[in-house]
Amino acid sequence: MQIIEEISKNRINKSASGSILQKICLDKLQLNPLPNHKSEIWRMANKSKLARFLDYKINHDFYKPNIPYENESQKVIRLIIGDHKKINIKEQEWEIKELDDQKILNLIQHKLLESDSTQNWSALLNHLLTNEKNICGLNIKGRNLPHLEIITNSKNNLFNSRTLIINIEKNTEVEISQINLGDDNSSLSNSSYLYLEEDSQVNHGIVSYGKYKSHLINSLNVFQKKNSVYNLGSLQFKFDFGRLEININQIEGNAKTNIKGMQITQDNEQISTYAKIAFNGPNGFLDQLNKSLARDRSHSVFEGLIVVPRIAQKTDASQLSRNLLLSNYAKIDTKPQLEIIADDVKCMHGATISQLNENELFYMRSRGLTLEQASKLQLRSYYQEIISFLPISKERWDLLALLLKNK
Amino acid sequence: MVNDNLVDNIVSEPYKYGFVTEIESEKISKGINEDIIRLISSKKNEPEYLLNFRLNAFKKWQAMEEPDWADLGYEAIDYQDIIYYSAPKQQEKITSLDEVDPKLLETFDKLGIPLTEQKRLTNVAVDAVFDSVSIATTFKEQLAEHGVIFCSISEAIKDHSDLIEKYLGSVIPASDNYFAALNSAVFSDGSFVYIPKNVTCPMDLSSYFRINSGDSGQFERTLIIAEEASSVSYLEGCTAPMFDTNTLHAAVVELVALDDASIKYSTVQNWYAGNEQGVGGIFNFVTKRGKCLGKRSKISWSQVETGSAITWKYPSCILIGEESVGEFYSVALTNNLQQADTGTKMIHIGPKTKSTIVSKGISAGKSSNSYRGLVKIGSKAKGARNYSQCDSMLIGDKAAANTFPYIQSQQPNSEVEHEASTCRISEDQLFYLQSRGIEFEEAVSMMVSGFCRDVFNQLPMEFAAEADKLLSLKLEGSVG
Amino acid sequence: MKSKKETKKPLLEIHDLFASTENLTILKGVNISINPGEIHAIMGRNGCGKSTLSKIIAGHPSYEITGGKIKLSGTDIEPLEPEERAQSGIFLGFQYPIEIPGVSNLEFLRVATNARRKFLKKEELDTFEFEDLVKEKLEIVKMEPTFLNRSINQGFSGGEKKRNEILQMALLEPKIAILDETDSGLDIDALRIVASGIKKIANENCGIILITHYQRLLDEIKPDFVHVMANGKIIKTGNSELALELEKNGYEWTDKFIDKT
Repeated sequence: MQIIEEISKNRINKSASGSILQKICLDKLQLNPLPNHKSEIWRMANKSKLARFLDYKINHDFYKPNIPYENESQKVIRLIIGDHKKINIKEQEWEIKELDDQKILNLIQHKLLESDSTQNWSALLNHLLTNEKNICGLNIKGRNLPHLEIITNSKNNLFNSRTLIINIEKNTEVEISQINLGDDNSSLSNSSYLYLEEDSQVNHGIVSYGKYKSHLINSLNVFQKKNSVYNLGSLQFKFDFGRLEININQIEGNAKTNIKGMQITQDNEQISTYAKIAFNGPNGFLDQLNKSLARDRSHSVFEGLIVVPRIAQKTDASQLSRNLLLSNYAKIDTKPQLEIIADDVKCMHGATISQLNENELFYMRSRGLTLEQASKLQLRSYYQEIISFLPISKERWDLLALLLKNK
Repeated sequence: MVNDNLVDNIVSEPYKYGFVTEIESEKISKGINEDIIRLISSKKNEPEYLLNFRLNAFKKWQAMEEPDWADLGYEAIDYQDIIYYSAPKQQEKITSLDEVDPKLLETFDKLGIPLTEQKRLTNVAVDAVFDSVSIATTFKEQLAEHGVIFCSISEAIKDHSDLIEKYLGSVIPASDNYFAALNSAVFSDGSFVYIPKNVTCPMDLSSYFRINSGDSGQFERTLIIAEEASSVSYLEGCTAPMFDTNTLHAAVVELVALDDASIKYSTVQNWYAGNEQGVGGIFNFVTKRGKCLGKRSKISWSQVETGSAITWKYPSCILIGEESVGEFYSVALTNNLQQADTGTKMIHIGPKTKSTIVSKGISAGKSSNSYRGLVKIGSKAKGARNYSQCDSMLIGDKAAANTFPYIQSQQPNSEVEHEASTCRISEDQLFYLQSRGIEFEEAVSMMVSGFCRDVFNQLPMEFAAEADKLLSLKLEGSVG
Repeated sequence: MKSKKETKKPLLEIHDLFASTENLTILKGVNISINPGEIHAIMGRNGCGKSTLSKIIAGHPSYEITGGKIKLSGTDIEPLEPEERAQSGIFLGFQYPIEIPGVSNLEFLRVATNARRKFLKKEELDTFEFEDLVKEKLEIVKMEPTFLNRSINQGFSGGEKKRNEILQMALLEPKIAILDETDSGLDIDALRIVASGIKKIANENCGIILITHYQRLLDEIKPDFVHVMANGKIIKTGNSELALELEKNGYEWTDKFIDKT
């Protein structure tokens, strides 16, 4: 594990610029260089895959990614982190500008100091290893914005790390797509922070698409002020080791969060989603659905946690985990959890693990469809629910065709 | 709002089993070490193999760490400050009930478990355990006519050593967990049941556990074996006096069901829970597990947990035999400062195994109530099915309800379904009942027992009524 | 049967009643007096305070009386809990009967009936006696005995819920029954069953308040008095002709009573 060695031998700072943030992270990581496997959120992580994630040379340079879909349209602003020029656009109805370093530090530090290093390991590592030019900080304001597309990518045989911080001002409505592209034999660490101010709305899509032996840890931290709406659609596939950590904090309650995510595993892959949703005020709303599909010898993990303290009266939260297990050698772990103290709340969660519905398959076959056609139809509807929740995926990238083509 | 001031006026119903029996006890000195274990074993005249079983367990226990993962907070237990053996002094060999100290019979009378022939329950055989020893077992002879063995585990160790040697520790090995290891080293008494092939046990069997002494722990051990095509329903009840110290109870229950056998194990646990300030009460750390070894065998756990300061308990089923069935029905009610962490593990190993989990948690006062469960479908469990339902009801805004279900599947041809929800008694429901003339407290207890209906339906008749009564008793005052 | 009513003492008197919920004043001086054997209809637009009035009479905890009096047979009922009001003979038929999972309808009906009987110093009924009684009353609302074994209102259709309300009224034999939009959500057959049930239960000792928007219930049960409510007050009282007038002309004319503040 090259990277851990670098950390323990204190060699990181020589190559990096050594910002305050990096110093905080280094101190914490030197105490606990690896995540604690006894902690719930790391217990299921495949140790050898995690070791491989950490076993590439650190890279700060930019390599142009192969974006798997055509042409940019006029209505999209595309940013590739590491390559982006200073951005400062001001139109009549909206404005996007770069965040200054101090603001970035404030936003991230707040999160890093609030919880222990086990909860934060992915972010600590990311901030230690991301140099200045791979940090993208944006402030967004206004309405009728063009679609914002932010790409992060890794280069083969290298460890790549990127940080994204977006502050969304009051009354702003914006659509953001994040595309994480994993190259052959590479690692990508991505930490994202979204701050939603009052009355703002973000439709956020995260598509993580790997190649052979790609590794990814993506930590996403969302802070919602009151009357904000956060919609997230996420899709993870083709990573040998893929991990999405979602932390949603409704700071004042009174906000809405809708999440639809899907992970597809095949071969020997392990893909996990960890979602913690904390309500720190009354009248919060959550509707979360996480789907997974596991083939071959793969392993799919979902762990959810809804935290409702006494202050969060009238919270209405629902979390569902739906899983399809399609092979005798694949494995699915799911753990949707509730921690509730407030008494006037409506919380429910559910989990199912099954295979494709036999009765439905039989019905379609009795109408003349082949088993393959019938399964495809079922999978199509299984995927479609999530894909249709991603902003503008249809025009940009025919994900459904791509998913159905894979086996 | 009605609910806000409900819990503030907690006037707890006095615990009615809190009395102490004045009886001379034989106690050994405090603490645990190899000599103590040898002493317990020699007091019970145990054969060599059992002493070895105990010593082996003790070694393992010493090497283990006390678990801290359960969602519980309590002061550290000093294991050297506990008396591991306490028995009411009486004649060495008791051959009939007439020789039992009348004070003990009186105690069980007061608890509603009369043992003497004139008064005893007619449809249930009882094994009464007082501190570390079994006092009496009723209907032994009648049961023996059917080939059913029902006696204290100490007797079984002497008289049925073949069965003990074969099955003791076969479901829960000494190394299973910290408290199981401790129990295996020092267990004092408990019940033993053997149902021979093709026998349906003619009456319900039950054990009644009574902790009397304040400074001794209770470590009973129960073993039930159901041979092919046999069936039995077993009930367990528990009470303890009120002490302001905490008493440790670390029991082990092992069940084995062979082909087509079925065991139904029901518990109403009402150990002393401590007072409203959380002083005193039993620490109830129990390991219960059943092995469905045989094809089409069935093990069903139902429990109503209302007592104890802390409960840590996961009655589980290992489903090995093809088409075997595991069930878990639970009501856990916590009030004041009680903490309960309970649930089950359903381990599906054999094909076409089925399990059902229904858990109802009610938290009132400042208590905390967690469901923690594991459903595991192994790679050979083709056609396995699980359905789980975990509902929580919160009364007042200072109680906590947590749900930690853990589901793992390695078999595509299987189905797992888990549902959980949280609710409270709504003001509208209360008003509706009140507007029909039903008193406030009765309305609350009607709704609580409605909430628990699915579980109560699983309990044997006498128990269901008792459970219902117990719940309304426990809730009295908490919502007034 | 109504000829002697003038000589009787009023059953329910509401005098200058003011009430509020969440700091919002809903009733602004309501006056009604109901004698035994009378049927009163209260009509008005949504939000005029009809349902609030019914909930206040039954003692719903979300509403607060800020002025005035409600008397049942001369006794102020304000200090009474909802159950005490029910036991002393006030019945509210809910517009939306509440579903209570797990609690058996039969058990509920028995406990409620016995609470009322106890108040009336009548003998309480055991399970068997009660089953005989309830089966007899089921006839009134044409319900199957299988209803009794289900949970309270759970999975009942709209019509079944309303019939369950009338069944409860039949069992509790109230002095004063307030039926809050009992006709809403019913088809014409269900409406007839419910209406004929109410007529069977009504007697010379019992007063009934029908809260409704529509004439169709009043075609089945002819009221002695019709009150029109607007803005938390009764703005007009008449006989059954008034209801027909409302049916023809609508409620628009009542809007002038609403404060523009």
